[in-house]
Amino acid sequence: MSAPGKTEPTDLIVRARAGDSQAWGDLYREFAPAIFRFCRRAMPTQEDAEDATMEIFMKLREKLVQYDPGRSFTAWLYRVAANHCWDMLRRRKARHDKDTQDIDDLPLEAPEPNQLEKLIEERTSEEVRKALDKLGARARMALVMRYYSDMSYDEIADALGVRRPFVGVVLLRARHELREALGENSALAVGGTR
Amino acid sequence: MSEQENTPNRHLDEITLLLYVERQLDRESAQEVSLHTQTCTSCMTLLRALDRESRLLTRSMLEEDEPLPARIAEFRARVKKSMQWIWGVVFGLAALGVYALYTGYIEPAEQQLEQAGFGGTNLLSLLLFQGAFWKGWQSMFTLVEFVALASVAGFGAFLFRRYLKRASALAVMFASLGLLAAFATPASAMEFRKADSVQIKKDEVIKGDLYATGENVRLDGTVDGDVYIAGKQVVISGHVTGEVFCACQSLRIDGQVQGSVRNASNNLTITGTVGRSVTSFSETTAVDSSGKVGHSVTAFSKSLTVDGSVGGDVLAFASAETSIAGSIQGEIRVHGDSLNIGSNASIGGKASFEGNNPADVASGAKLAYPLTFKKIEHARNERGGGYYVWRVIWASAFILFGLVLLWVLPQFSKEATANVESVGASFGLGVLVGFALPIAAVLTCVTVVGLFVGISAFFLWFASLYFSQIVVGAAVGSWILGRTNETWPLVGRMAIGMLILRACMAVPFIGGWIKIAAILWGIGAISLAAYRRLQPVMAPNIPPPPTAHVGTPLPPNTTVSGV
Repeated sequence: MSAPGKTEPTDLIVRARAGDSQAWGDLYREFAPAIFRFCRRAMPTQEDAEDATMEIFMKLREKLVQYDPGRSFTAWLYRVAANHCWDMLRRRKARHDKDTQDIDDLPLEAPEPNQLEKLIEERTSEEVRKALDKLGARARMALVMRYYSDMSYDEIADALGVRRPFVGVVLLRARHELREALGENSALAVGGTR
Repeated sequence: MSEQENTPNRHLDEITLLLYVERQLDRESAQEVSLHTQTCTSCMTLLRALDRESRLLTRSMLEEDEPLPARIAEFRARVKKSMQWIWGVVFGLAALGVYALYTGYIEPAEQQLEQAGFGGTNLLSLLLFQGAFWKGWQSMFTLVEFVALASVAGFGAFLFRRYLKRASALAVMFASLGLLAAFATPASAMEFRKADSVQIKKDEVIKGDLYATGENVRLDGTVDGDVYIAGKQVVISGHVTGEVFCACQSLRIDGQVQGSVRNASNNLTITGTVGRSVTSFSETTAVDSSGKVGHSVTAFSKSLTVDGSVGGDVLAFASAETSIAGSIQGEIRVHGDSLNIGSNASIGGKASFEGNNPADVASGAKLAYPLTFKKIEHARNERGGGYYVWRVIWASAFILFGLVLLWVLPQFSKEATANVESVGASFGLGVLVGFALPIAAVLTCVTVVGLFVGISAFFLWFASLYFSQIVVGAAVGSWILGRTNETWPLVGRMAIGMLILRACMAVPFIGGWIKIAAILWGIGAISLAAYRRLQPVMAPNIPPPPTAHVGTPLPPNTTVSGV
């Protein structure tokens, strides 16, 4: 998941780990925007995203010693962020999020290919973003992890606490939810007739 | 791969195609999918649609580059970090507040009351400040002081953390504590005795407190301090200059105790002298005809007998049988089944009895005031219909108040409601603000210039007592019906939450605590919202957007060659 062409801020990380406040500040300034955007997509409200971002960086300060410099810092950072956001959502879900519990029980019907193609063709990025806000916590989280932060299936499985072979199903269900949100009257919402 | 794929005339299922698009299939399965899609138009179309869907998802997530909020850009991690250490400060300040409250107000008031002749007559005072746990409170204050000092030291270490390595910061903190401890008043001497049979002989003198445990404890000598005893049979026939704390099966005081006696035992018998008060949690408590108690007797006993003399009041609770044949200078207040006042009894103060049967007063008894009797009413339903009507009216008033607040301050109310979710921070801040604000308001009022500010702050605090319940009610409603950012749905949630909250507050015994918790919690949430509001809207020097590599992660490998 490392960004090609991007030099990992090795020096900053080393200094931040040693307790250099300046380095920590630089690290924050460099990565906070990306993490905030990740949280903005994963969390239901702007306030939640702001809170989550700050909490992630507070956690990061303690966890930085656990980071393995041999691996991608960006990937590690997103993993920490994903775990934190999912923890927050899961805690909240227990109280008032209907989420995917009932959706998981529904059989997934294959969409009609041409209709799906048409739907995808017609929808804009903005419409997709609005539709994402309507998804359940797990569906949104899975899509954000995969298509925003490009996390691997193993990393998604780890963050969501599901078995690795189930990640594809989670993503597929999330896409179905998204299609339903994108075109509520469409036949795609409930599956097609292949 | 599903079975469908192996049948040439059947279509591939969507998950297989998705895994192919996502490059999650093994080489062999991927080749099968590739071969199939070359001949099956429907699957090819679906594959292409899934690929486009992936691209659309990635694009929609990456292309929006919303500005970084001010509070994030401002490196608020430092501030939020402070929310962690603020706990230490909160508890430290709370400890200091309690200590200051006691030394500044309660203790002087106690002394004044005592000088005015009211010492020991007040049940609350007896139980809390001069009662069974009084000595424990004194010990507690030592702990409270320690917590306060530790908080101050920790706060100091935090302030200077930039100049100190972690280890040295800790060292400074512990050194400071050590220094403070060195200046602290040294503890008085203590004597520990532990054996099956402990005896302090007649000519033995112990300077300082005595701690004794044993099956039989006998104190014939002198203890110049307090005595703490845990045993089976305990006899004090010597002299104790301080107080006696005892947990045993049987305690007998034949000697002299200059201080008070606090006792939890089966039997307490006093034939000697107790200089101050007696508090007894016993099955039977008896002050024999030769026994003398300088101040009051408070007994939580099945049976209380006072044949000797008591310099103060006699308070008896839940006594099945109370018998008084001695001399009591103060008043008596008895709550129990029966009361017998013998012919030799004399009572200098008022006498009241609340029981099941009228008191039996012998003709020769000398009572300064006529005995008042109140029959215990075993009310089955203390709360009549009016009580519930008023509850409903109050709940409605709260909902109306909440409606107005949500209408007048919609955004602030939403922020405060959302802050309730941050349980720890809100509650901690609530404890601090809830107690500190009125004190600060009073202190501000002392200065003429700050009179207006002080009164305003006090009114603000008073209003927040109600607003806090609305905020918590709205949060409770949101937990049940789900969160919302719109005003009217939030009003509905607030109404439901308030009804639930008010219902919880009406529960006997725990309702009051629920109310206090809700108020503190809500005040904290409001304070947090106000604090965040006071932050600058736009931060200066917002860092430039991150490079594409950081701010915009690598797009996923969703391209399917040949499709």
